Amino acid sequence: MVSASPPIAEPQSTGRRADARKRRLIGVGRRLGARIVAALVMIWAVATLTFFLVHALPGNPVQVQYETLLSHGVPPAQALKETRIIYGFVSHEPVVNQYGSYLWQLLHLNLGQSISYSGVSVSHLVLAAAPWTVILVLSGLVVSFLLGVLAGAVAAVRRTSKLGDLLSISGSLLHGIPQFVMAVLLAYVFTTLLPVFPFGAPYDITVIPGWNLAYIGSLVSHAVLPVFAYALSSYGGWMLSMKSSVVSVLGDDFVLAAELRGLKPLTQLRYVARNALLPLFTVFALSIGFMFGGSIFIEDVFDYPGLGHLLLSSISARDYPLMSGTFLLITVAVILSNLLADLLYTFIDPRVRGQAS
Amino acid sequence: MRRRQSRDTASETAAGNEDGFEGLRVRDLTIVYGTEAGELAAVRGVDLDLPAGTITGLVGESGSGKSTLALAMLNAVPSPGRITAGSVTMSGVGDITRLRGRALRQVRGGVLGYVFQASQNSLNPLKRVGAQLLDLARSHGVAQPRLILGEAAKLCERMGLDATRVLSSYQHELSGGMRQRVGIVFALVLNAKVLILDEPTTALDMLSQAAVLEVVREIHAERRLATVIITHDIAVVAEMADRMVVTYAGRVVESGTAGDVLRYAAHPYTKALLRSIPRISGDISAAEPLPGRPPDLASIPTVGCVFRERCPLAMPICSDVDPATVSVGPGHTTACHLAAGPLAVPEQSEEVAG
Repeated sequence: MVSASPPIAEPQSTGRRADARKRRLIGVGRRLGARIVAALVMIWAVATLTFFLVHALPGNPVQVQYETLLSHGVPPAQALKETRIIYGFVSHEPVVNQYGSYLWQLLHLNLGQSISYSGVSVSHLVLAAAPWTVILVLSGLVVSFLLGVLAGAVAAVRRTSKLGDLLSISGSLLHGIPQFVMAVLLAYVFTTLLPVFPFGAPYDITVIPGWNLAYIGSLVSHAVLPVFAYALSSYGGWMLSMKSSVVSVLGDDFVLAAELRGLKPLTQLRYVARNALLPLFTVFALSIGFMFGGSIFIEDVFDYPGLGHLLLSSISARDYPLMSGTFLLITVAVILSNLLADLLYTFIDPRVRGQAS
Repeated sequence: MRRRQSRDTASETAAGNEDGFEGLRVRDLTIVYGTEAGELAAVRGVDLDLPAGTITGLVGESGSGKSTLALAMLNAVPSPGRITAGSVTMSGVGDITRLRGRALRQVRGGVLGYVFQASQNSLNPLKRVGAQLLDLARSHGVAQPRLILGEAAKLCERMGLDATRVLSSYQHELSGGMRQRVGIVFALVLNAKVLILDEPTTALDMLSQAAVLEVVREIHAERRLATVIITHDIAVVAEMADRMVVTYAGRVVESGTAGDVLRYAAHPYTKALLRSIPRISGDISAAEPLPGRPPDLASIPTVGCVFRERCPLAMPICSDVDPATVSVGPGHTTACHLAAGPLAVPEQSEEVAG
């Protein structure tokens, strides 16, 4: 950075500027690379943890599976083979070998075979369940973001009025309600007390799936309650962080400067909004993890066939391969969305971009 | 005041005030802050003339109300403060304190250019300087917004900035001195007639200070601006200003040409202020600090002289009667009971022309 110089025009330096741009680009690339490597390392760590977790489970499920097969009269060689298909490894081998073959299977996206849905591969089950969860979580995220950010901005601007107090209280209150309580509450009020919305499954079994209005309408009406369970439980976080962010940006000098320069109210609003939204990207990253975690409770309450539901049913059925596969996928989703939020931040904030070089 | 009247010539522009005054004129301005302890006056009964072609130095300690006064010139007193009396009249525009909405917005930036101190970040950190200039042009209904970039580039080059680089920079890529000059570009790019500089040299090193002041002086003369420099640095005023106005606790206690006020200071506060400046040559202990503390909003006396508690020459009358503004020389006035002695001539009330 050139410090203040006496009023002599600095020489034009096109070459130097191009150089700087190149350096910045390399910086961004390096940052991106580092983030991706970190994410991969994290996924590997989670996979390893999952492996050892299944290993450490009481009763050695792999061994139990093998012996169950034996007791059903399956010859030992056949039993060994089937166990390997289910878990990706067998407990007769040394741990290092087991671990190696587990990772090898994982690299080929082979998560083993489900026990409770016998003969079906875990990847198939998990991939069938994932879209439901992703749709719910993303819709919940969008709804809570829009509601929370708007309410937060209003609460910040009107922070001395009754409306501001009311909004702040709504934020703290909803923030304090756990997701499963919210889900049960919504389900009770809107399907039993005032039966406005249908309960359970992603759509009516009487409609035929396809691109028709009845099906889409049924999908939407079944999704409303779970989406709002997600949205209301993370609304408070958005609202409170947006409020404090807007309050702090409103105190910044550039906001007063924009006013004193006679900028249009809409332009001033854009200045404030963009600056206030920046810190929320951190919340965004945290919020996605929170929501995927919440899918366990919310999908259970609404009987929604997503990943959370799958995880819970695999636990009660002692379906260890399905359990570890689902767990792994949820974790990977959280890590990837954190990565995404981080990269978005780099593109949105020029100051972070500059630091990369 | 008489000095100004003698300077008044026939109005050059039809847009001038009724009496042909060109520039910004503050009359009897009072600004109060509504607090739990009641309404407290931060600025009371201030008269001020900022004629075109004159640099006015507005001097006072922190908390003397000079920044509030400057914001009031743009009708931008921050809540809970508000203007309760008086007027700020701009030739060709009218009373700014009565403007609202779009009309007020057009005057801010369009007629009155306000420059923040260098330590403040007056630019949106997420937008390039050029893009923010375009926002400014669009907000002020410039027919071809892109032309403003050429205008800004010229101003940048005038101030010794590499225009191409600055216009494509973000705020964090500019140094303090560069930001200050960019702030001046924003204030002047729409051809403002009044330039208000809030502590223009605070947070700048000596070289940048000199450079920024030099640029201000040149552009001021070129465009015949009405320039006001708000500062607590007497040296800046001595260096730059034609006229000097001293404020204390929200009142104007003395005003006159910079030379007169510096040489023949009439108000005890001005004298004390001048004595408190250390000289470069000479004994540093010759500088006497001002005893006591400047009053805060709640402790400003509502009756009598605001300076009496720190005044070495306070008399009984000072606590009972507000000192009137009296003339102590050509164009040199002060608000002090001592100056209002038998030798002083009470200031004549404003003559209404027409």
